[in-house]
Formats: sequence, structure tokens, C-alpha cells
Amino acid sequence: MTESAPLAVELRKVTKRFPGVVANRDIDLRVRRGEVHAIVGENGAGKSTLMKTLYGMHRPDEGQILVDGREIVLRSPNDAIAAGIGMVHQHFMLADNFTVLENVVLGQEPRRGPRLDRAEARRRIREISDAYAFGIDPDALVEDLGVGDRQRVEIAKVLYRGARILILDEPTAVLVPQEVDELFANLAELKREGLTVIFISHKLDEVRKVADSITVIRRGTTVGEADPRTTTARQLAEMMVGSELPTPETRESTVREAAALVVSEVTVHAPDGRALVDDVSFTVHEGEVVGIAGVEGNGQSELVDAIMGLRPLVAGSVRLGTHDVSAWSTRRRRESGLAFIPEDRHRQGMLLDASLWENRVLGHQTQAPSVRGPFIDRRGARADTARIMREYDVRAPSPDTPAVALSGGNQQKLIVGREMSGRPRLLIAAHPTRGVDVGAQAKIWELLRQARAEGLGIVLISADLDELIGLSDSLAVMLRGRIVATLDPTGITPEELGGHMTGGRGGTTAPGATPAGATRAGGGVAS
Amino acid sequence: MTVVRRIGTALIAPLIAIVIAVVISAGVMLILGVDPLEALSVMFDFGDDPVQQITSMVTVLNRAVPLFLAGIAVAIAFRAGLFNIGVEGQYRLATVVAAGIGAMVTLPAPLHVVLVMVVAMTVGGIWAGIVAVLKVTRGVSEVISSIMLNTIALGLASFLLTGPFLGSEPGASIIRTETLPESAWMPSLDGLLGGLGLELPRRPLYGFLVIAVVIGVVAWVVLQRTRFGFDLRASGLNASAASASGVDAKRMVLKTMLISGAVAGLIGLPDLLGRNHNYNTDFTSGLGFLGIAVALLGRNSPIGIAVAALFYAFLDRASAPLQAADIPSTVVQIMQGTILLAVVVANELARRLARRRAEQANRQGDGAPPVIDPGAATAQPAGVGGPAPATATTDGGGTP
Repeated sequence: MTESAPLAVELRKVTKRFPGVVANRDIDLRVRRGEVHAIVGENGAGKSTLMKTLYGMHRPDEGQILVDGREIVLRSPNDAIAAGIGMVHQHFMLADNFTVLENVVLGQEPRRGPRLDRAEARRRIREISDAYAFGIDPDALVEDLGVGDRQRVEIAKVLYRGARILILDEPTAVLVPQEVDELFANLAELKREGLTVIFISHKLDEVRKVADSITVIRRGTTVGEADPRTTTARQLAEMMVGSELPTPETRESTVREAAALVVSEVTVHAPDGRALVDDVSFTVHEGEVVGIAGVEGNGQSELVDAIMGLRPLVAGSVRLGTHDVSAWSTRRRRESGLAFIPEDRHRQGMLLDASLWENRVLGHQTQAPSVRGPFIDRRGARADTARIMREYDVRAPSPDTPAVALSGGNQQKLIVGREMSGRPRLLIAAHPTRGVDVGAQAKIWELLRQARAEGLGIVLISADLDELIGLSDSLAVMLRGRIVATLDPTGITPEELGGHMTGGRGGTTAPGATPAGATRAGGGVAS
Repeated sequence: MTVVRRIGTALIAPLIAIVIAVVISAGVMLILGVDPLEALSVMFDFGDDPVQQITSMVTVLNRAVPLFLAGIAVAIAFRAGLFNIGVEGQYRLATVVAAGIGAMVTLPAPLHVVLVMVVAMTVGGIWAGIVAVLKVTRGVSEVISSIMLNTIALGLASFLLTGPFLGSEPGASIIRTETLPESAWMPSLDGLLGGLGLELPRRPLYGFLVIAVVIGVVAWVVLQRTRFGFDLRASGLNASAASASGVDAKRMVLKTMLISGAVAGLIGLPDLLGRNHNYNTDFTSGLGFLGIAVALLGRNSPIGIAVAALFYAFLDRASAPLQAADIPSTVVQIMQGTILLAVVVANELARRLARRRAEQANRQGDGAPPVIDPGAATAQPAGVGGPAPATATTDGGGTP
């Protein structure tokens, strides 16, 4: 089956340069027909550049692209679609107030006269849905659908346009474990029908579970292929970062007596009076990490806002150390040692158009070394930004670089460094490693562990269950605004935790899925 | 980035905008059967003898002063992410009240001027404060409320002019307030021009120019160098991030609108204290709206606003000579309009350009060890802004 059948996609020595930088260099990729082929690599390794090349969003400077054995030139995504290549983006591109049918046909509407031929569209969407067991209803409104269904609509959209080769960009980033399993079942159906799937991810366990073959990219070039049956997640991670990972350290408890944060019976309402956070109580001691698990949208963000003082409490109180801070302003809470890594760094954590040193000042506008009297201490802030860049490995030309120019991982490291300065007593870390690469992730975990050992209390909110289980000293599960379970992270599997998150107790068990050490490895990875 | 490059980046958008506007205006002039070159030469013709020339320049400067203040008022709000469209109403109401109250009291000269200024700033601030209160308590968009308050302010100003503050004889063709006593007149800067060895202009150069320069410098220092200015700018750059960092969003809206309104209150004073000495039905109008254009063209920085104000004032002065040369003076309005449109487009283009350049510069640096040199970093153009608004206003006007 190797030499006789032409490869579905082959890239030979593809190189793509941007002014002053080589984003992809001598990329070789061989994707066989009817397989799920994973492309793994750190953020910034060049995966998205490669995918843009393959989807016709820009043209490579050198090299050849072959589809089904024939060389093709892709001038635009339209060419790619004509060649049978479709792309499912990480962020869904769906109109919420349209039905599934309208979203799928948008731009390629079957017509009868000047009108949309709904019957024909419905027939074709049903056909696709049945063929791959998607179970989507063409007449449902997209805003009523869950994340998993939306993703299937996106895939249907691509199939509707006749794609035989699907590129999925980080498809599991937004899914809970059960949804991931459903997606993988869908991919198996696609495979059975002879379609080819290119699957981009940096979640190594999933890649090993679903892929038939794996190509690893590091620093803009392919470093090799791996067989998921014989390669461990750890070996893959080492291929990605190009060095051996340290073993996960054994953990001893650093929990102390004193409470850093006491949340008691906190209730937060939506403007319409619905309870978003409902009678939530928990305590974080110094040196303790309390993980809050839950499917997104179950009140975690509102709980964070309540602790930060960004939302009024309807009932209950928040105590920071020995002070009741319920009536304090956000600034006063921050001044007394509350630090915050927001879940969406672009929304709540950064001034993208401002320089790095100005971003260093943000959140510390009243504290040295950012200010002197009523004035901003520009020299002090710049010097301290340089320190953060050094200690936290933020890669940027200078403290005057605008924040927007940094990659996500570097922005996140800057935020972590900023929040850790001034010796905070309590840190709220919401998705601290979301969208950052393996190296930065390990670094951030290491920093959190260190800070914990020094007595920092941490509230950790994450969608990455391995991260939650690996870092937390105790776990609370939030569902519909309430804490429905308090768990001991030792010995719990992501599947069990996922079961609690969705309201079922035991959770589904996925055989062979073990939380791999490699993705959880602590320690600084030289990268 | 070098200083030259930074300034280049800052200048590129307005320059593109002006070029586009000139090309479009030239096209319109051709359609109207006007020779664009002739129109241009008329616009640049400042007169034949030194007195005429200096008078033309003073006219430009005198118009630039209120435009600059209007631009600053708009820009302060804009920096905080607020659109103060109500500058027009704020300054008209402030001017009529200041004129009315100023005429009622007797005070020694400097105090009298100060009183008029304080009254104007208070009224402007209160009027803008209504917008802020509505936004903070009821969530009313400041764009809507400030536009609607414009209409109310103009009505209120008319009422005050014809009622409590009426100073003209009944039946007079121009209705006006009582003329301010001389102690409330702002001395002109003609002495300064004489001291520089220049001819005396036929119109006095407004003494308020000095106050405008001070306001510009203070605005720059507050915005760029203080904690409060940082909070204000952070609110404008990213409101959610600012709140998360501890900025009280509601208070910031209130403070910003009060300051913006207070500066807006000053817009009418150069004319009131320097020339008219009363508020009347012919009092200069439209400065508030022009201020929005000036702030946009000047990219919300005091130096840029000074240059933009001079440019608009230059165009404004050109209408009279254009009419004299039988060229429709609406050419000026067409240019002002097209510049405004072009500037919005060019600003966006320049922003994207700057972003892309920064990203590329960083991609080059990526992978290499971080270059950290705090010493070099602090060698920023720290001094660029301080005295510059002053020189920009005085020099810029003299040379075109």
C-alpha cells in the first residue's frame, strides 16, 4: 500500500520565508490516503504556516505540493477547495443566528431560480450527516448547539464543499474528554469512507490515540515521522522540544495552617436574577493549590470575578488572609496581595498596543517599582520588565516592544512574571497554560510549584484536566454555579474527573488512556 | 527604534491623509471648473507687505488656539475610550455663562480673567458630567447622550442669551450679553511680536495662546507620565484589562468626562476674552465638531493636535481670499471633509503597518536570546513632548 497508491498529500522541501525570518524550512510531509495524520509541534514551530501553505493562504517560496501524486499550485483557498482540501479552523466560523443548513451552504447555495433550494440543501446535509454519523439537524439554530455539535457542523461545511482531505487545526482544544471521544469516533467514520485527515495538535495523548502516523515539527522544519503505536508521549515530547524532559518531580505537600483565601457562601447573580455562582464556599491555605474543575460556562469566570471584586456579591463573603475584603475595590485587593492570571489574556490581561513595560505596570499602578508618587516610574518599570524577561524567559527584543508582537506563550510568561512580582499572597490562575507551547507550559508549571512551595495560595482553574490533577492539592468541581464535588487529586483519572464535570458520577472509561507523564512534566525545558 | 523612525511612523498617517485629500479636492475643483493650482496659490498667499503677512499669520494662530483646545478636549476623552461628541454644546454653554457672569462682577484684572475661566471650566465640566453620570448609572452610550445634550445646550444658551444675560438694546440686530469690563480682557501678545522685531498685525494676537500651550503641556504630562494618565489610557486601550488591574471604570468615566468638559469650556474664551468681549448670536460656532477632526488628524497627541489645529486654521483663513479670487470657498470645506475621511482610513493603515513591522522585528528576534539592555531602553525620546507643543504652535504658524 505504500508505493503503488499515490500519497494523498505530499510536500517536498517546502520553504516559506517572511521578511527576515524563515517560518518553514525544507518541510517534508507524506500523508497516505485514508489515514489520520497528526502534525505536532510547539506553538511557533511553524505548524500554522505550514497549514496556511497547504490551504492556499500563501504561496511557498520553494518546494512542491503534490495532491494525489500530481503537483499543484495553490493561489488561494478556493484553489485548495477545488483540489479537495478543506480546513476546519480552531475558532469556529459560524453565524450563531443562522441554522445549521444556512451555515453549511453559505457561499455555495444550491439554487432554484434566484432562491435558496432548501430541500436540496437539506437532502445533501442529511446525506453527509448520515454517511459519517454526525447526527446533526439541518434546521437547528447554531446558537442552540453545544461545542461538539458546532464542530461537526464545521466539518460538514467542509465536506459539503467536496473536500477529500480535511485539515483540523487544534480540534480538541475546546472539547471536554467525552466530546473528544465523540470527535475521534467521527474521524474513524471519515477514515472508513476513504477521507484523509490532517490533525494538528500539541496534546500528545490524543494524538497517540487517534493518529495513524505522526509528523513532528520543530523550529520550522520537520524532524521526523513517528509511529503512534510504538512511540511514547514522552518520546514525542522530546522530539518536539529537541531535548530530554526531566522526570516529573515527586510532590510533597506544602500546605500550611494559615488561610490565604476564604470564600464563604458566595452567590453571584446575572442581570436577570439567575444565580451564576450559587452558595460557593472553599478555603485556600498558604502553600496550597485548589483546583476548580468544570466545563466552561458553569460559573468559574463569575467566581473569579467575584474574588477579584469585578462583580458584586449577592450574598456571602470573601476573606483574604485575615481581612474581609468583600467591600474592597479591586485595586485595594490587588494591593493587599491578590494576583490574577486571567483566562483570556487579550481581554483581561494585556494592553496589546502598549509596550511590554507598560504591561508590566498594569495591575501594579500603585506599587513600586512601577510608580513614584503620582508619576509612573518609567525607568523602574523598564528595568523590572527586563528582569521579568530574563527570569521568565520572555523572548522579545526589548521592554519597549509592543505586546502584540509577542507570541502567546511569551505574552503569558510576561503575565505570570508580572503577577508574581511584589510577592503576592494569593494567585488566581485561570487557564494559565492555555495556548502556550510545551516549553512555556513546563516553565509556568515550574513557577507555580515554586511559588506554592514559598507559601503562595493558588486558585487554579483549567480545562486541561491533566494540569488540574497534576498541580492541585485539592479539587472542587463546579456545575451550574455550584460546587458539586470535592475530590482528592491523587489517584483520580481525567475520565473520572470529566464524569463529575458533566454531572455523571463515574464517567466513561477509555481503555488505554493513561495520563502521560510527559505532558505533565515539570522542570524547565531548555528550548 | 530610533527617534527619527518613531516620528516617521507618527507622521506617515496624517501625511498620507493630506495627500489623498489634496488629490480628491483637486479632482472636485477640476469638475467645478476651478484651477487647483490657482486655488492653492491663493491659499498660500499671505499678502504683499509685512503687515498683511503678519496679520494673516495672526489670523491663523488666533483660530488655531480654540481648535487646539477643542482637539485636546476630544482627545482626553478619546484616550480613555470615550467619544465626547458633546464638546460643541459644552463650550457654547460654558461661554455664554462665563460671559454673563463675568459681566456681572467687578474684580482686579488677573482675578477677573481667572474667574471667567473657572466659571467656563465648571460649566463645561458639569455639562459633560451629565453624560458621564448617565453612562455610569444607566448605561447610556456617551455618543448618544452627548449629541442630544448638544441640542439642549444650544437651546439653553439661546435662552440665557435672550433672557437672564441679555445685554443689548431691545430690537438690536445682534443680540449679545453685557460687554465684559476691561479687567476681564485678556492682554494680547502683540508686545511679544514687537519684541521679536516684527510688524504689528492689524488684529491682536490672542494672549490665550499662552494658556493653550500650558494646557497642552499639562495634558501631555498627565496622560503620558502620571499614574492617573496610565489608568486613563489603559481604560481606552482595553477596558476589561483596566478593570482587572484595579481601575474603577465608573470613576474613570466620570473623571475623564469632567476633565474633557472642563477643557471644552475654555474653547470659546480666546474669542471672548481676546476680541468679542461678549457672547452674541454671531459667536463662533462649530469648533466642537472641528475639534473631533483635529483630534483625529493629530492622533490624540498634544503635539499632533497642535499641528492639526494650525493646519485647519490655515485652511479656514483661506476661505476669504478664495472668495475674493472668485473661487468658491466651499473648496476649503471639501478639503476639511476629505481630510477627515482620509485620516480615518490612513490611521487604520498606519496602525496595521506599525503592528506588522513590530511583529516582523520580533520574529527576527525570536529564537535568539532576549536582548535586554535597560540602559538603551531608557534612552527614549523622553524630552520630545515637553516643550514641543509650545514650539509647534509658535513656529509652525510662521513658516507655511
